[in-house]
Amino acid sequence: MKQALHYLAAATAIFLLWALASFVLEQVKGWPVIPYPWSVAAAGIEYLPQWGSAFASSARRFFLSLLLAFATGLPLGLVVGASDRLHRWFSPLIYLLYPIPPIALLFFLYMAFGVGETVKVVTVSLTLFFQVLVAAHGAARNISPSYILAVRTAGADALQLHRHVILPAVLPEVFTAARVSVGLGITMLYIAETKLGLLGGPGSGLGVFIETYAMRTDLSLAGVVGLAFLGLLFYALLEVLERWLCRWKYVGKG
Amino acid sequence: MISVEALRIEYGRGRRRTLAVAGVTFQVADGEFVSLIGPSGCGKTSVLLAIDGIIRPTSGRITIRGEDVRGVRRDVAFITQDAGLLPWKTVRQNAELALRLQRRPREGVQEILRSLGLGGFENRYPAELSEGMRRRVGIARALALRPEVFLMDEPMANLDTLTRERIQEIILRLWHMYRFTGVLVTHDIEEAVFLGQRIIILSPRPARVVEVIENPGMGEVGYRRSEEFYHVVVKAREILKSLEER
Repeated sequence: MKQALHYLAAATAIFLLWALASFVLEQVKGWPVIPYPWSVAAAGIEYLPQWGSAFASSARRFFLSLLLAFATGLPLGLVVGASDRLHRWFSPLIYLLYPIPPIALLFFLYMAFGVGETVKVVTVSLTLFFQVLVAAHGAARNISPSYILAVRTAGADALQLHRHVILPAVLPEVFTAARVSVGLGITMLYIAETKLGLLGGPGSGLGVFIETYAMRTDLSLAGVVGLAFLGLLFYALLEVLERWLCRWKYVGKG
Repeated sequence: MISVEALRIEYGRGRRRTLAVAGVTFQVADGEFVSLIGPSGCGKTSVLLAIDGIIRPTSGRITIRGEDVRGVRRDVAFITQDAGLLPWKTVRQNAELALRLQRRPREGVQEILRSLGLGGFENRYPAELSEGMRRRVGIARALALRPEVFLMDEPMANLDTLTRERIQEIILRLWHMYRFTGVLVTHDIEEAVFLGQRIIILSPRPARVVEVIENPGMGEVGYRRSEEFYHVVVKAREILKSLEER
């Protein structure tokens, strides 16, 4: 509840700053460079069906990408990080591939996955995959030996060690990495949605929506606001998930 | 009975090979409580881990009730230095952990927690407990296995004096109740004398048995304040001191 109030205050602040920027630019340049927030809101409401469908498409893509990134990056990071031998062999590989932006490979990704839905999800999930993988791997290398000794002396096998110690130990760091990567992921989503022209029409994603209405600045900005909401949505989703799955981190802290 | 014969443990390979334990031999009879004491880093924890089956000896032989130790046994419980509680599990989940890992029914844990003064804290996380309570949860986890053998690796390390004595007294009480076979590793002389019917003194690394002190007076809480206790402590201290000077 308190946090919701904070978000409301932040939204109000952004609203006011935005209005101020619009006003100042209009005075200086002599024409409305940035539309006022209320006209953006009005335009958004006018085109609500397209805006909504664009938001839903982008949100669905991002959700699938995030799911895919967790489902692959997390187990791989755990297993490679927790084993010295696998770590020696695979870490150089991970760190060689990690800095490559999937966007640089977009042409090849289009060749491999076509120009439809798949390639967008693949691009974003590749981005998030490496973030999750590197965070899980790093955290798995740093687990307190006393936890490992405690379960080994109690007779744990390798699978139980991963399930009861390594996975719960790395989850907080993985969630932090995922939250930090939401912005990067949305950037990648925007590029993947817009790079190949505007085939799907303005309802097929926020990126396409923004590009389609580039000449109608109020509508275009409504799409940008949609991106901000999208980021916030996933940030909040990850936060709620972490508070639920890593309850122990928050005991006694309200 | 636990039998350790000519136990030798080396770590590492090639040039970086270090000898941690150099031929240690001792026996612990059923129901007997023995303390292993020696300078820090002398290899006493390695001996204990080898008895538990976590470390494979380089050479020598360890048997429990006549059977070679080849891995963690269901009748052996191990208490680690800092209790090794998992912060993401509640008190109850931590206490049940060993049973769960061994796929045994999780029975009697509630009673054990209550008998250790942890009733009402079952759903708390370790971060919400005092250090003394955390150690008791570690004891509960081991006790839940209803073990014949208790291996303890400095379970009272880094506690304030009163809490340490309280935990020592809990362990003593449990030994009277269950008559388990106990091996306690410690570098605290008074603790070794309070809890050990025999005190096995190990040399600095690589560990060898230097001397075994008989300590028949052990067994009562009041022993701590007796003259005999004092004499045994002095004797053990002198041996350990002479080792340092060597």
